[in-house]
Amino acid sequence: MAKLKLSGVRKAYGATVALSRGDLEIEAGEVHVLIGANGSGKSTLCKIVAGVVKPDAGEVLLDGQPMAVSGPQAARALGIGIFYQELSLAAHRTVAENICLPDMPVRGVFVDQSALAARAARYAALFADVTGDDFDADGPVDALRADQRQLVEIMKTLASEAPVLIFDEPTSALDRAQVERFFQILRGLRQEGRAIVFISHRMDEIFEIGDRVTVIRDGETVGTRRIAETNPAEVVEMMVGARSALAAEPVAEAAPFRGETLLGVDGLSGPGFRDISLRVAKGEVLGLGGLHGQGQSALLKALFGVLATSGEATLDGVALSNATPRQAIRSGLAYVSGDRGRDGVIHGRPIIENVTPIHFLLKGLQIARPAPLREKALAALKTLNTRFAGLSLPINSLSGGNQQKVVIARWLIDRPRVLLLDDPTKGIDLSAKADLFVLIRKLASEGMGIVLYSSEDAELLANSDRILVFNGGRVTRELRGEERTRFNLTQAAYEAAR
Amino acid sequence: MTDLATPARRKGGFKRVLERYPFLPALLILVVLLALNGLYQPRSVSLVGITGLIKTYLALMLLAVAQTYVVYAADIDLSVGAIVSLVNVAVVTLMQHWGGEALPVFGAIALGLCVGVACGIVNGLVVAALRLQAIVATFATSIFFTGLALYIMPVAGTPAPTLFWRTYGGRMLDIPFVFYVVVVLAVLLYALSRTRLTTQLLAVGDDAQAAYQSGLPVTLIRIKGYAMCGVFAALAALCITGDTASGDPLVGGKMTLFSVAAVVLGGSALSGGVGTVAGAVIGALIIGLINSLVYFVGTPSEWQNLVQGLAILLALMAGILVGRRARA
Repeated sequence: MAKLKLSGVRKAYGATVALSRGDLEIEAGEVHVLIGANGSGKSTLCKIVAGVVKPDAGEVLLDGQPMAVSGPQAARALGIGIFYQELSLAAHRTVAENICLPDMPVRGVFVDQSALAARAARYAALFADVTGDDFDADGPVDALRADQRQLVEIMKTLASEAPVLIFDEPTSALDRAQVERFFQILRGLRQEGRAIVFISHRMDEIFEIGDRVTVIRDGETVGTRRIAETNPAEVVEMMVGARSALAAEPVAEAAPFRGETLLGVDGLSGPGFRDISLRVAKGEVLGLGGLHGQGQSALLKALFGVLATSGEATLDGVALSNATPRQAIRSGLAYVSGDRGRDGVIHGRPIIENVTPIHFLLKGLQIARPAPLREKALAALKTLNTRFAGLSLPINSLSGGNQQKVVIARWLIDRPRVLLLDDPTKGIDLSAKADLFVLIRKLASEGMGIVLYSSEDAELLANSDRILVFNGGRVTRELRGEERTRFNLTQAAYEAAR
Repeated sequence: MTDLATPARRKGGFKRVLERYPFLPALLILVVLLALNGLYQPRSVSLVGITGLIKTYLALMLLAVAQTYVVYAADIDLSVGAIVSLVNVAVVTLMQHWGGEALPVFGAIALGLCVGVACGIVNGLVVAALRLQAIVATFATSIFFTGLALYIMPVAGTPAPTLFWRTYGGRMLDIPFVFYVVVVLAVLLYALSRTRLTTQLLAVGDDAQAAYQSGLPVTLIRIKGYAMCGVFAALAALCITGDTASGDPLVGGKMTLFSVAAVVLGGSALSGGVGTVAGAVIGALIIGLINSLVYFVGTPSEWQNLVQGLAILLALMAGILVGRRARA
């Protein structure tokens, strides 16, 4: 009998289906790997088991008994321990307190300080030598580096001593030595007969530690294999679906490629990426691919002057020194964020005010003269087929897709040289996406350079002339022409970062 | 991959100390204020002067402590002043009914504490269980509690029994009674700081979602925080009753925001997760010393509020500057 069994588990948030059919069987004494692309439903599945998320349908069996839990506390009492991808640490509490937070040792109403310290020390000792010199169990968690915090979350999960342990991307910030130590511990736990779920995006880790692997794609678990009987290529194929995996996307019809370098980046480093060099030619759409959060967004923000960098960037051979977005805009860059609610939309203000701010900045306008502004705004909005009832209506009256069109239109009154697109289609409907990509291709054919990051591989493949795959903050692979297949993209994204 | 993470900075010793005792800048300000008070009015730092200061501001100290327990969890309680008023009139009315003997006085005190806890639990249920915004919800309950207080005692002025205020203002074994209160309070606060509840409240204030995912009963913890707040607000009410020797249905209202100010002056963050009750006590004393200093310096009465406000602003700025300098 399986230790933990999920069948037909489903979860939707409004119209978005996070998990459509989750089937999973975990045996005691195995490390069961869960793998799938961003947003395929892995974390949702874990959180359902942990009691954080309530499933809409389906069954979760623990030791053959239906497991109905009211929340994380109840799941923990039943013997589920979980490492959260986004971590569950209290930043200002000490490491020791965090490790013991879920059930603090008490004497009466008081915290048993010596028992607390002893328990924390026991789990910290597991990672002795690999935590780094400045690791202090009595210091607050917010003084730690990202890898050390991740270790604390691991210690906290281990301290649950639960028979079922779930690790949702526990190794993303760890270095090799730390991963080795963690795997050593996992092997010990497997020996003890614990049931372990392990999620990672690193193919080499999966084959090193896993006993079985279950692949999850678009919210559905598509199959389970014994690690010993499969290989990375098969896993990648399962992840992307055999059908479309090997076909290259057609190259966009002969873009008027003039070969002139428009944007040049040399050895640029910043928070989340390092040593990036790339060229964007006039009329080229350069795609940035890879797993979410490998430095693509950070690079685009840095080029736009939001994040500080070291290294060189040039536009048309002239050095860019963009310390602020204002300077970046003046030098001819444009940036569109997928997080339009935070980075794009001016909430509650009329559409016209949302279309014209860049025009105001570039032309140094102080006084708004409605008639010429209206004309320019309307022309910009028209190129994107934006649907709206009137320019003076608040932007929030529009659908998400049309809001994003308004945000993009603000860059079209005075054309920039290079357009930086940071996952621009997040949460917008299909027709708006189609309009957007038609426009992108048109702008490129007029000589604009475009850098496109998209978290949707299909979108990236269909719309880029060339794709740079990011992994661990570096460009690890470049895909051109016939190489731009889903298989290659996925494989490059899941390779161990060099 | 590790060099991608935030580079760890080696911390200086003072920074470590400040992390553990965030009230140190406030303590520095307190010492400066004490010195200034002594400079302008030497008698203010004598035993009599200090006794008077504590007698007058013990209520605010307790109220700031009360506020701290909800601020720990990133909540706020704008009804603490109203709870003080309600407990004040309830206790005075009960003592008047039952007579001023020792036993009835103790009974009234016990019931007053129960009223405080009940008010705190009401607040906790409204904020944590019904999930209403703490600022607005406790503002509403403050009006409600004030209404109750006015119902119990429509007009201020009912005297408290002599036994009660004589004890509060008097001496035991030649030592002022309030010093015993301070000692008991210090022991109590130290003990409370080592309870599991305090750690849990701070963890909830740090990140409520993370605390929930860690399996902490977040709603219950927040309700307990409000209940603690109610207890200390009731204790504050007893001190006010001892100090003013009468019942007044509006006595606590203006203290609410002073309690919030004291908490912040003491180095606690209104965003939760960081703070100490010791800091709140120091914050309350700072406010008290500013008030007396303004008086000792000889500020004309029409300027006193203005100077007081400016001084509190200055103290806040000084605290932040000292803290930032040390953390940098």
